[in-house]
Formats: sequence, C-alpha cells, structure tokens
Amino acid sequence: MTGALRGFVAIAFAAAVLYGLQRTTPGYGDITSPIRVTGKPGQRVEASAFSIVTGKVHLARSVTIRSAGRGQALTTSGVWVLVEGTAEARSESLGLTSAQWLGPNGVRYALSQRLSTAPGILPAQRLEPGLPKPVLMAFEVPQGQLSGGTLLVARSAWTPLEEEVGITMTDIRPDDIRPFLVLARSEGAVPWTLNAQ
Amino acid sequence: MSADQRLTLRRRLFAFLIAGVGAATAAVVSFAMTVYEAANPKVVPVVAPGQPIDTGRWIITIHEARSGSIPPTGTKPLVPKKLLMVEFDLNNRSASTSNVFLRLFTIDPPVANLPPPVLYLARDKWIASGVNPDMPERMIAVWEWPSAAPLPQQVRLRITSQIHKRRDNLYGAPGWFDRDPVAVVAVAVAPEATGTAQ
Repeated sequence: MTGALRGFVAIAFAAAVLYGLQRTTPGYGDITSPIRVTGKPGQRVEASAFSIVTGKVHLARSVTIRSAGRGQALTTSGVWVLVEGTAEARSESLGLTSAQWLGPNGVRYALSQRLSTAPGILPAQRLEPGLPKPVLMAFEVPQGQLSGGTLLVARSAWTPLEEEVGITMTDIRPDDIRPFLVLARSEGAVPWTLNAQ
Repeated sequence: MSADQRLTLRRRLFAFLIAGVGAATAAVVSFAMTVYEAANPKVVPVVAPGQPIDTGRWIITIHEARSGSIPPTGTKPLVPKKLLMVEFDLNNRSASTSNVFLRLFTIDPPVANLPPPVLYLARDKWIASGVNPDMPERMIAVWEWPSAAPLPQQVRLRITSQIHKRRDNLYGAPGWFDRDPVAVVAVAVAPEATGTAQ
C-alpha cells in the first residue's frame, strides 16, 4: 500500500514540477524580444548602432500640416504627441523605421502614418555616422496613456534581439495639451516649425 | 515458466489491452465529432446593423451602406465608377497598433471580379493606416463594383474572427490567428443621393 502511495506522490510531484516549468518558461516572443537600452529625456541614449536625444514634446488635440500654401487639419480621438529629437548613426548609415509610445498599461502605439509626409519625420530620415539629424516623431495616444509613457525607438519593429532605445518620458502634463498646432516646413537647420495657433 | 513470470506477462497484456482500448475510443470519438460537425455546420448568427460584434481582436459595428460615384476623398474619379461604401466603427482590442482590418469582413456570397475594398478613415477622408488600441475610429470600406454587374439592394457581410495565442504551434511565439466567422450583417444599400454629387 505504501508503495502505491509513494508512486502517487511521485507522479503528483512530477506533474506539479512540469506545470511550474510550463508556466514559467519564457515564450519565444520574450526570448527574442528587442534588448532595451534605457535613458532619460534630454540625455543622449546610445545603442550600438545609433544614438538619439529627445527634445521638446508637444501635445495637441489637432495638428495642421501646412505645405504648399494649403493646410490640412488632422484631428484625433486621443492626443497628438509630437516628440522632437536628434538622431545619429554610429558606424554605418541607417534608417530608424520603428518608434512606439509604450503606455503605462503596456499598450504600444506606433508612429502615426497620418503624418508620414511631414518634414523630418523619423522613418523617412537616413542617418549618417557623425552627422546628427533633427527628427520628429508623431503619435496618437489616449489621454490616460500620456504620463508614465515610454518612447521606444528601434531600427525595425520586428527584428529579434535588436537593440531598442527606451526613454521614460517624464514631465508630460495633460495641462499642456494645446487645441491646435501648426506643423510647417522650414528652411533652417531644423526642417520644420511647430507653432500653437 | 514460473508463476511470477506468468503474472508479469498477464499484467503486461492487461496494460496493452487498456492502452489499445483507450486509443481506439479516442480515435472513434474524434472521428465521430468531425463527422458530426461536418454534417451540422455551426450557424453563423445574423447581427443587425448598429450592433457591436466582438471578433476577438476587433470590435466592429457596421452602420450603413450606400452606393455612390464619388469616393470619400471627395475627388470625382476621371472614369465614372460604381462604388459601394460601408461605414463602420472599429475598435482595436489588442495591445498594439494594427492595420490588419482589410480581411475582417467579406461580401457573402462572393461577387465575381470584385477587387478588395479600399478602407478610408472617415476623420481624414483619406486612406486609413493603423488603428490604435482604445481609440475607436469611424471607417469607410469602398468597393469598386464591376461595371458589368448591377449594384445590390442589400449587402451581406461575413465577419471573421481572430484569437490570440500566447504560444503558437510552430515557434511558441505569441500571435493572432484566424478563426471561423462570428457574424453575418445584412445592410440595405442606400441609393446615391443626387443632391450631393459635385
């Protein structure tokens, strides 16, 4: 009888161990997820292939793109987040095609394609080593996901084990949301101007 | 052969018998379930326009359908076209921005030579890109109807679903996978309002 009991206990123990292993084994997505290099706003964050500094963050309910004398107002059900920054390649020319706003609840908001033709927008820029270039990132984010958000920038969104820069965006206050913002082309060193109108 | 050996043999035979009966039962049950499901296909519920439909990854609400000749951009095409437009609300329930809503619904039954629809964001009156989570958007799907076929009075849309798997069967990677249709929506096609044509 004790033999049968011992067998039962052994099987139950093995099942418990296997269940624990199954639950705690990191998934393929976790194992191959991008490796994050963290930083702060205003600070130069260096990944092995590129570096990026974020500057001003503009919040607005509506963004008007002004080009060739015409203006198109783009509204959103959330808030427009426009992040200005400077990016630079480190050893070879590259483009940064992926930027995401990671909200405090873990939801990822990709770059808004609606502003993809705006001057200086990040995925359209070709970065050269030694030549820092001003870049603009535009997101549409629900108001509740603004404070506590993280900006994630990577060469591409789907490459496994690639480095990504994660910048914890502090100092984002919903009071700063402006009703309108005008984004226009500029001939200066920074190829855009952002004005509240 | 000793008594001990005979006992072991009987035990092994018994174990084989149990395993064989178990395997046979499993095969029969599985086969019978397949046959039963093929004989009694699941009826896809018909949902009225305006009712939200949970498709797993998206919540979609079909509102109205209309015919017209001017796409939502407002630009009259050079060659006159027959367009079928369906307005719907879309809410992304996944954890990231996605533009995989092109295959979310199809016209049922399929129409010959019908190109896939173009999806417009009603807010911009321009071609839609990704839809963000927790930010519902009004969209317009536009089919360019074949010139040979008449526009229908009513359109039936079959809405598919997707489920999320934490580990898929091939790599163990998380992802969204297509599942069976969850609803059919029948909407009347409103004729083109002649007053708004430019």
